[in-house]
Amino acid sequence: MEVVNFILGSLIFPGLLFVSFIGLLYVGIDRKVTGHMQNRIGPPVWQEFLDVGKLLSKEDITPGAAQSPIFTAAPLVALGAVVTVMLLIPVSSAQPTLTMVADLIVIIYLLNIPAICMMLGGYSSGSPFGATGAGRHVVQLFGYEFVFILAILAAVVRVGSLGLPTIVGYQAQQGWLVLDWRLLPAVIAALVTAQGKLLRVPFDIPEAESEIVHGALTEYSGPKLAIWRLAYDVETIVVAGLLAALFFGGPTTYVIVSIQIPGIVDFLIKTLAIVLLMTTIRNIMARLRIDQALKFFWTFATLLAVISLVLVLVVP
Amino acid sequence: MTFVIPIGPQHPALKEPEFFRFEVKGEEIVNVDIRLGYAHRGIEEALSRRSYEHDVYLVERICGICNVVHTTTYCQAIEQLAGVEPPERAKYIRTLILELERIHSHLLWFGVAAYQIGFNTLFMLAWRDRECVMDLRELISGNRVTSATNTIGGIRRDAKPEHVPTILRGLDELERSTKYHIDLFNSDRTILARCTNVGVLTKNDARKFCAVGPLARASGVDADIRRDDPYAAYDKLSFDVITEREGDVWAKSMVRLREILESIRIARQAIKEMPSGPIRTKVNLEIPRNETIERTEAPRGELFYYALSNGTERPERVRVRTPTYANFASMKLMFVGGTVAEIPIVMWSIDPCFACNDRVALVDSHTGKTRTLTLEELRRWRH
Repeated sequence: MEVVNFILGSLIFPGLLFVSFIGLLYVGIDRKVTGHMQNRIGPPVWQEFLDVGKLLSKEDITPGAAQSPIFTAAPLVALGAVVTVMLLIPVSSAQPTLTMVADLIVIIYLLNIPAICMMLGGYSSGSPFGATGAGRHVVQLFGYEFVFILAILAAVVRVGSLGLPTIVGYQAQQGWLVLDWRLLPAVIAALVTAQGKLLRVPFDIPEAESEIVHGALTEYSGPKLAIWRLAYDVETIVVAGLLAALFFGGPTTYVIVSIQIPGIVDFLIKTLAIVLLMTTIRNIMARLRIDQALKFFWTFATLLAVISLVLVLVVP
Repeated sequence: MTFVIPIGPQHPALKEPEFFRFEVKGEEIVNVDIRLGYAHRGIEEALSRRSYEHDVYLVERICGICNVVHTTTYCQAIEQLAGVEPPERAKYIRTLILELERIHSHLLWFGVAAYQIGFNTLFMLAWRDRECVMDLRELISGNRVTSATNTIGGIRRDAKPEHVPTILRGLDELERSTKYHIDLFNSDRTILARCTNVGVLTKNDARKFCAVGPLARASGVDADIRRDDPYAAYDKLSFDVITEREGDVWAKSMVRLREILESIRIARQAIKEMPSGPIRTKVNLEIPRNETIERTEAPRGELFYYALSNGTERPERVRVRTPTYANFASMKLMFVGGTVAEIPIVMWSIDPCFACNDRVALVDSHTGKTRTLTLEELRRWRH
């Protein structure tokens, strides 16, 4: 029974099928809202499904210099990693599909795998754009990752547990962590770093299209590119879900006029709100240069996260 | 270790094919090699094989964005060859359309510049505002882009008085949106971070490498053909020549945005002071042997035409030097020492128009090897 549950969990809900659907849908919404913000109609909400479907049916053209197992495996490993994270994030109740001790550490590790795969793919693509994009990604990773961990650490210290279920449970009793003034700087820092993690403006430097074409993904085409797109879309929802669980109370069940609203609805609303917030940020700014981005992460964002951590430790 | 980043002939930062070979050390650019000629269409040769009137349509197609300034310069050159003067009203209408073209060209530039620094929202909004001036051009000339208004000896379509209120309203709207963009460019933190102290061209270098147009004016060189060598109706209208001192991408953007405001001012004056009268004089197009040069201020800088007639109804030779060609020499200075991230915006800051520029091919590529022809070889080829 447990095996069947696990397979269902990883492949259907909340695994591959569910998270792919929601990820593609949310990025579609993101593109539609972006269109309206930019005074144009924008693509239909389901455009992302069409794009990925079209790429999947296209011929796979890999240049000779890029033909290596690493180049082929990179998108699959990236997708696998983000789907696994989805299993560790509370979706319909405080309890995720897989529970382990200290699962936040696993989540932080797994969330880095797409970035590392992108670097490997870029370096093994044999294209100067891929190599430049990968190099920039390394630099950017060193920028945002430390701040991201610090921001999460602030929440962990506040609750006193590394387990996401415990953090969600704590928030159900004591109120959302974002409402705690000591954690507010950490929330801002986490949102900023999520923007960097998901390569959105102003931190879309590793795949800046006007500078280095598509960065590390320049030489990818067809099904491999489709899997990259899918991995990216899933990562969007996973990061939003993680932030929702950490700071915004996670999935909660409500009873409105004696109708019980399941936690999954709450999860979808909260993640959509976070995605829309990130959409707004990406539409009101220009792209920074890599040195400027690094400076921003290491001064402003780090400062916010450190302030939060110190406040949590010092102020009772 | 340096490695080569090829920008072009196909690259998202380039709107037209051209090849730039960047040698970079990490992110820093140490050298750049520019190779031109990918958009060569043989227009100068074609010009001398067609009649003067037919050539008007051909020069209009040298550049899509600044087509009116090409036809105006060409027509003025041929009018000089033939020794005729277009009527006053034609000159005013030419001025009006030229200024509307400058507004549309600068707004287009501004939008793409925003795209080059990754600010897609501003790109879309700038192009939305540009629609307003496109509508005005359609109102006056019947076409949004290639206006087909100029002809030798005057213009082909008259501006209608009932359109004046619409045009003035459109100009008001453009003034409002341009002021908003200027305000934005002065205050937005990410824009300032990407544009200040980037791609600097000093005043000295701008003079030394003969930069023209907004590029030179952004470096503090006070030069504008409209004022220095007036053509059309510019000698009767009052306007300021916009200059900035910094010479960086921000200054180049600011010069162009503030020039839009000046263009609106000129357009309003031209509408107000437009005399009535005929719009076209008859020209005998069998022009005896004669030669002339003509300069105008295109949106991108000084546009230069040389024309030589030989007594038939075809020109012996028409030579075009576009502002982009004049500005290529300054490019290397602006790139070297910068970073890869600056390539698109610095390249775009000269407002390059490769289709205008590539009329003489210098690259020979038979036997698979590419080599550049020497001037001597080119001379021998021609004869």
